Amino acid sequence: MVILLATDEAKNIIRPEGEIRLETIDLDMFYDDFQAVKQISIAIPSRRITALIGPSGCGKSSFLRCLNRMNDVIEGTRVQGKVLLDGEDIYSPDTDVVQLRRRVGMVFQTPNPFPMSIYDNIAYGPRLHGVRDRTQLDEIVEKSLRSAAIWDEVKDKLHQSATDLSGGQQQRLCIARVLAVEPEIVLMDEPCSALDPTATFRIEELMTELMENYTIIIVTHNMYQASRVSQYTGFFLMGELIEYDHTVRIFENPQDQRTDDYVRGRFG
Amino acid sequence: MHVKGRAIATWEWFVESAIRLAGILAIIFVLLIFAFLLRNALPIFRQVPVGNLLGGRFWRPTSEPAQFGMLPLLLGSLYVTLGALLIAVPLGLSCAVFASEVAPARLREVLKPLIELLAAIPSVVYGFLGLLLLGPWLANVLNLPVGQFAALGSLLLALMALPMIVSIAEDAIRAVPVALRHNSLALGATRWQTIIKVVVPAARSGIIAASLLGVGRAIGETMTVLMVTGNAAVIPQGLVGFFRPVRTMTATIAAEMGESAYQSSHYYALFAIGLMLFIITFVTNTLADVLVRRAGGVKT
Amino acid sequence: MKLLNPQQTEKLAFAVLWLAAALAVLPILAIIAVMVYRGGSGLSGSLLFRVEAGLLPAIVGTLLLVGLTALFAAPLGIAAAIYLREYARNGPLVRLIRLAVVNLAGVPSVVYGLFGLALFVTLLHFGRSLLAGACTLSLLVLPLIISTSEEALRQVPRGLREASLALGATKWQTVRRVVLPNALPGIITGLILSISRAAGETAPILFTAAFFSLTHPFPKSVFDPILVLPYQLFVMATEVPNVPSATKWATALVLVLVVLGLNLLAIILRTRLRGLQRW
Repeated sequence: MVILLATDEAKNIIRPEGEIRLETIDLDMFYDDFQAVKQISIAIPSRRITALIGPSGCGKSSFLRCLNRMNDVIEGTRVQGKVLLDGEDIYSPDTDVVQLRRRVGMVFQTPNPFPMSIYDNIAYGPRLHGVRDRTQLDEIVEKSLRSAAIWDEVKDKLHQSATDLSGGQQQRLCIARVLAVEPEIVLMDEPCSALDPTATFRIEELMTELMENYTIIIVTHNMYQASRVSQYTGFFLMGELIEYDHTVRIFENPQDQRTDDYVRGRFG
Repeated sequence: MHVKGRAIATWEWFVESAIRLAGILAIIFVLLIFAFLLRNALPIFRQVPVGNLLGGRFWRPTSEPAQFGMLPLLLGSLYVTLGALLIAVPLGLSCAVFASEVAPARLREVLKPLIELLAAIPSVVYGFLGLLLLGPWLANVLNLPVGQFAALGSLLLALMALPMIVSIAEDAIRAVPVALRHNSLALGATRWQTIIKVVVPAARSGIIAASLLGVGRAIGETMTVLMVTGNAAVIPQGLVGFFRPVRTMTATIAAEMGESAYQSSHYYALFAIGLMLFIITFVTNTLADVLVRRAGGVKT
Repeated sequence: MKLLNPQQTEKLAFAVLWLAAALAVLPILAIIAVMVYRGGSGLSGSLLFRVEAGLLPAIVGTLLLVGLTALFAAPLGIAAAIYLREYARNGPLVRLIRLAVVNLAGVPSVVYGLFGLALFVTLLHFGRSLLAGACTLSLLVLPLIISTSEEALRQVPRGLREASLALGATKWQTVRRVVLPNALPGIITGLILSISRAAGETAPILFTAAFFSLTHPFPKSVFDPILVLPYQLFVMATEVPNVPSATKWATALVLVLVVLGLNLLAIILRTRLRGLQRW
């Protein structure tokens, strides 16, 4: 048996072509003493879908939550290294976290609509940021729901409770809610793991549509999903980024043996 | 936009400070209570040596010269509290075991709210029932000289403390891992052997905590004991003392504060009793809190 | 030789447990039965609503007292709960606050009375009054409000908080617009339970608020002493010899009904508000 030594890791981590506005440099993240994310340096291409894959507990979700500082909410977390958004470190002391999260939106694993009406769910973000005008809110709500491909299903019941929608509809509603604050980047943390195959398919379609205007990073444990929707894929293992390349290459011709094993289902 | 961001940040800071202050106020209130009790109790410690206060056998605040011996009151509280525990702990523990291990689910859902109701009845109503109904009846049945006595207070206090004891003991029993039970059953133990040899010992600290909280509750109860224990400031003697009138610390404060002259020795002495009550309950509650946390009854 | 085999021991033990449960339930049933039986006969419209030698002043006084108590204690208690659950990070301060709350809950009610006498009645010159009584009682119910509110906040799913924060809401915006509305049914239930506790308390108002009079039944300002049900019952039972027995029992029944009524209201409100929340 050949033991692979990580002699030149960097050669397996490419820098995508085109515009890059978000990148991390030597990013570490700790839960108390446990290091969940180790020395991640990755550049995220704009207006593309980047998938992060790896076995559960590999640090991909923890890494994702570093990108909009959602880990700040959890007690005992600590971050070292840099996350650069348009060249500025989001962990520098003068970052406005609230402003950052408007620019970097997030969709969570389980759909989490607020127990309010559909309309109020979408209007929640804009209202926070000072939009009071009714017609303007109406426009934002319709536009966001259309972008999230759920307008036709809910346009007649905007003032009914969002919690009465099906799981798949709820998740698209949550995506619409994120779009309503007009982010530049959308982080998706296993957005389909609680959904059935049909609902999953609709979300995947939606992601491809959104790619024209948004930079999307999706964490998924579903390799088929990664290969279907993304252009770039990063493979995480034990907190490290093992390989990062065009999705096609990761799935068809990975450079690292461990990536090969994983995408061929040899461990997990 | 930047100005607005700063305004929001200032508001956030202001709100968080106000909310934190509300939390800190809880600490301040405890300190304030202690400070005011101490301030109003101190003069009596200057007038009467502490030994005479705590060990004195006579509480005669209005005779000449006045005597402020708290021993009868301390023992009175002790009798009533001890009696309450002797009734409430075995009964409460049995109910907790019954509710969590034996009772069918349907029955448990009826049982719990019914027991909870005991805590909702005001203490003055317990006192009223004891004074008018239960006391005279018990005196008749047990052939006692009077219908107001220590054990009557104990009995009523036990009822009042029962819901709390049941609920904490039940939490502690539920916190015992299922695997422990299964292991025991798999070794051929009966359900009862499992309960008595595995479950109850594992829930020990929660059960002790429940008893301690019961002590705190019983020793601090006022209206019921004031109304049903007869209020004779004599030192209770032996077992028969349970069936004679006694006077507790709380009842003394409640009965005499209205008549004591402001800033008289009597007034200060009553605050000294209050200070002692505060210290006793502080110690028992803090101990119980530590035990409850250890038992895993409180999730943080 | 053993007297009983394990199976027989178990049967016997379980029988004892059944008996214990029956013993625990019996008193409350007996209390309710005797209260209704003895009190019901003395309870009449004229006793309830008569001002002179009737219960109306004491009922009004009780409601005023607990209303004012809630007004003081609710904002403080809810804010403290929000601090503990939403803002505070585990550390010495939080441990100290929790310890303080546990101890506030354990302070004997008569000691609250002493404290109220020393601080509100004497030092702050509120006198024996509605105000002094409400201040004293609000300290007594504070720990209860804090712990019930905290429990209500605990029930709000964490995902909702994260979703709000991820949309660029600040912490307070999240608390005010998402967390509090969701926790409201639980908070209100806890508040009413605390009020029902306050309504039955006697010892804390003994020297701070309560009085017994037939000539000045209603307070004219918050600086007047008040008639309240529990104190009325106490005085009738122990100090006034010639009150008809039926009146005493009726007073006790009304007090129990007020307290249990508030409890029932809490339960109904909880179910109602839960239903409302689903739109």
